Amino acid sequence: MFGIAVDGVAYGMILFIISVGLSVTLGLMRVVNLAHGAFAMVGGYVASYAAQTLGLPYAAALVVAVALTVLATLPLETLLYRRIYGHANELSQVLLTIGLTFVIVACVNYLFGPTLKRIPLPDALLGTVSLGPKAIPTHRAFVIGMGAVTLLGLWWLLERTDFGIRLRAAVDDPAMAAALGIRTERLYMATFALGTGLAALGGVLGAELLPLEPYYAIRYIVLFLAVVAVGGAGSIFGSAAAALALGVTDTAGKYLIPNFGEFFFYAALILILFRWPHGFFKGRTA
Amino acid sequence: MTAAATDRAKTDKTAAPAAAPARRPRDLGWLGVPVTAAAGLAAFWLFPEDLGLLTRILATALYVLSLDLVLGYCGIATLGQAAMFGTGAYAAGIAAVHWIGDPLALLAVGGLAGGLIALLTGALILHARGLTLLMLTIAVTQIVQEVANKARDWTGGSDGLSGIDPAPLLGLFRFDMFGRTSYLFALAVLLAGLLVARRIVRSPFGLACRGVKEDPLRISAIGGSPKAYLVAMYAVAGVFAGVAGALTAVTSGIVGLDSASFSWSAEALVMLVLGGTGRLYGAVLGTVSFMGVHHILAASDPFHWMLFIGLFLMGVVLFLPGGILSGIERLGGLFRAKGGKA
Amino acid sequence: MATHLRTALFGAVFGLALGVGGASAATVKVGVIAPFSGPFAMVGKTFKEAIAVYQAENGKTVGGDTVEFIFKDLDQANPAQSKALAQELIVKEKVGYLAGFFFTPDALAVAPLIDEANIPAVIFNAATSAITEKSPRYVRTSFTLWQNTVPLAEHMARQGIKTVVTAVSDYGPGIDGETAFKTTFEKSGGKVVDTIRMPLKSNDFAPFMQRIKDSGAEAIYAFLPAGPTTLAFAKAFADNGLKEKGIKFFGPGDITQEPDLPALGDAALGITTTFNYSQAHDSAKNKAFLAKHKELFGSSDTVTFTSVGAYDGAHVIYQMIQKTGGKPDGLKAVDAVKGMSWESPRGPLTINPDSRHVTQTIYLRTVEKVDGKLQNTEQAAFADQPDYGYKVGK
Repeated sequence: MFGIAVDGVAYGMILFIISVGLSVTLGLMRVVNLAHGAFAMVGGYVASYAAQTLGLPYAAALVVAVALTVLATLPLETLLYRRIYGHANELSQVLLTIGLTFVIVACVNYLFGPTLKRIPLPDALLGTVSLGPKAIPTHRAFVIGMGAVTLLGLWWLLERTDFGIRLRAAVDDPAMAAALGIRTERLYMATFALGTGLAALGGVLGAELLPLEPYYAIRYIVLFLAVVAVGGAGSIFGSAAAALALGVTDTAGKYLIPNFGEFFFYAALILILFRWPHGFFKGRTA
Repeated sequence: MTAAATDRAKTDKTAAPAAAPARRPRDLGWLGVPVTAAAGLAAFWLFPEDLGLLTRILATALYVLSLDLVLGYCGIATLGQAAMFGTGAYAAGIAAVHWIGDPLALLAVGGLAGGLIALLTGALILHARGLTLLMLTIAVTQIVQEVANKARDWTGGSDGLSGIDPAPLLGLFRFDMFGRTSYLFALAVLLAGLLVARRIVRSPFGLACRGVKEDPLRISAIGGSPKAYLVAMYAVAGVFAGVAGALTAVTSGIVGLDSASFSWSAEALVMLVLGGTGRLYGAVLGTVSFMGVHHILAASDPFHWMLFIGLFLMGVVLFLPGGILSGIERLGGLFRAKGGKA
Repeated sequence: MATHLRTALFGAVFGLALGVGGASAATVKVGVIAPFSGPFAMVGKTFKEAIAVYQAENGKTVGGDTVEFIFKDLDQANPAQSKALAQELIVKEKVGYLAGFFFTPDALAVAPLIDEANIPAVIFNAATSAITEKSPRYVRTSFTLWQNTVPLAEHMARQGIKTVVTAVSDYGPGIDGETAFKTTFEKSGGKVVDTIRMPLKSNDFAPFMQRIKDSGAEAIYAFLPAGPTTLAFAKAFADNGLKEKGIKFFGPGDITQEPDLPALGDAALGITTTFNYSQAHDSAKNKAFLAKHKELFGSSDTVTFTSVGAYDGAHVIYQMIQKTGGKPDGLKAVDAVKGMSWESPRGPLTINPDSRHVTQTIYLRTVEKVDGKLQNTEQAAFADQPDYGYKVGK
């Protein structure tokens, strides 16, 4: 039982860290950004290239990956996303971001080839650490720590800083916020950068679990959406709670009844959404 | 039909001026069926060697049309239409392997199965909206696919359900490898589907559904239950999707797990939005252009067709919001305006 | 009456077209259906490259006929699309042979077509035993799960291993592998203590690893389709301390296919597999094959089992064309290669006249690091292994 809990929490934290960026864009900017997985993948590939070909250490590769992904995707915000903000555009958002995902998949496939890529881990993250009777991989412990840091950092950023206050104002009533002199355009740009940065971070940290290959962008999108839907879009704590709940559910299902693990996961998902139709923490869009 | 719905329909007609510009092209809507029929027959004579692909396009168009009924006319954002398609395809396939040979009966079986699963799951999940609903529809599809994967004795699991060998159509026309019977059969079914769908969306019931999409509160206020309308339309669309699945099973002779997959749902959505939602012929146009472009690009360079299809999609969103059909309408409008000046 | 006229007319037109094609016979077309885009694009690439290598070595003509390969993209398992593509190849391109097929359902989908058109289909990969039972026009040059698993289970029993857990992906080939393993291993006196079927879309394998640990088994038999899940599985095996605990990792060789080895890294070391081809196979024929591949494409790193499947498939098609003089008759072409034996880069091959599947040597290999590069080093060879799964039923 303890083993299930530990594995479940570890898996849940990884889910959190790769999905929270989507919660930011979906909840705070109201963009159904199906290209989230693609941005995460770009981050992962940059890190892989930086670490393997350029020989940078893991931490440096991580920073480079996040920074480069943000830089590379910012023009997309100006050129593409800005045209599709707003509630009425959900379908256009879906179509545009699917199109963008296809383009990124094709480019990555062309540049890096279809084979699996890896981000070599530093020695400090290899091996296992013991938590009482249960041993978990060091890398996972590291991801759990990073997840907790991200969670607190985001909470502080959105709830305690000027930026957060302005952003929430802009989301709740864009016209009023603009009238009050809040420059919503720059605010949206910054939020978009935050979302893609988190995506890249998740792509790099989660690469041990979700290996990098060109179809990464499409393969895991359902998983990301599940976390955000259960958590409530835009709610940071909601995403964390959802990721942990889904992680534990999935782990328990696979351990106890492996032959029906898939049923278990989706049945649980339906039940949760039945009970909490707006997610654990009612999202800002609801 | 309830009195409330008829009332609603009446008020809709009287309160129409706001929607007047959008109505004009729809008045020419009856042209769509003969035009589709003529185009379909023309394709039959022009591309006699491509009937395999063309048949798939027609069956897919019917499937995308079913999505249009829920998305375009009820505003239900779903990524789970493949659940109904797959259920219909497997039901027809299993019936064909074990009991029934007649292709028309098989379509009925598929439609029934698709409608039933839509009714059941719709009643369960349609209280939700937005992302939650999207996720619920995805979950339903995954469960349907997993059931098909597990029930290997019936469905063949991941190997696919093969050995579907329907009897000749009307006892006369065999489904042979040149695909002429398949094509004409699929064309007839699609045209029938378009006619029925047109009737439905113009009926008081259809108008009420549109009312739910635009203003659910008002429907409640005049005594209707928004959810009941949604579930009913969801089930009707399920019948369409099920028939489309059965049509694919009958004409291709095999059903695979892909027919109940998330990506098949997503593809339907892409095709529909591409063509234009809330317009029946948008579904047909979107399917033809998406699958056509895919086929041409995949044939000339199978390696990187994704790049082009991605750019194509983005281009449509940025330059043709409302889909290809709205672009054609705008062109038509431009032409008429010019004609008026001259 | 009208229908009869129609049928007669069309029959005449198409008969004429086919007849003309047969008589002038300057070009024999071979339609290859495989994934060239999508997650499995690698497979299509290896098919195409291997065929190019074969044509570079053996020329593009057979007995005066030019052989032309036409490639059609089928990005994922989609039997209805597979059938539509095959239809197009037969009706429009007038191919005399079909080939390729990575996934089982895609291969099964064309059975009624190849029977109606009397065209042989040479399967380069799709590995479910039952396929060749569905039409007498199928010939397969790859392997089956049964073929790889039976010698492995016997080997494990001989090693004195008593308790094993099977962990397979929950789909056709995985279940084939599980059945083959369980049947053979228990016949040889071992015990399968747990059978785990893992959902194909699993990402996190830690819970399965915990279950394997708790079962107390000495070894696992694992099968997953090549790709990202295999990587995650092998990593989880190493990361969760199963390797340290001394649990041995066995499986069919798909899981350590050459293109994935660099990404698997040291987690793959020590995995023991049985398979029909290793890039490291030590033979003159294999070296020549790899050298030619490198000459044409700059690198031979991605050469793997799908490469030899296509290479030998091309050989079979060339032989069929030669032995039938280029005349289109599927059954005759298949009859002509029944019992045929030849030397392939993977070793000696024979087409079994009953199952129309290749009987071949299956090798026991271990992943090792040689000169800083991971490879499947062959430890033992089990000669003349047939498809044990032929007509076994589900």
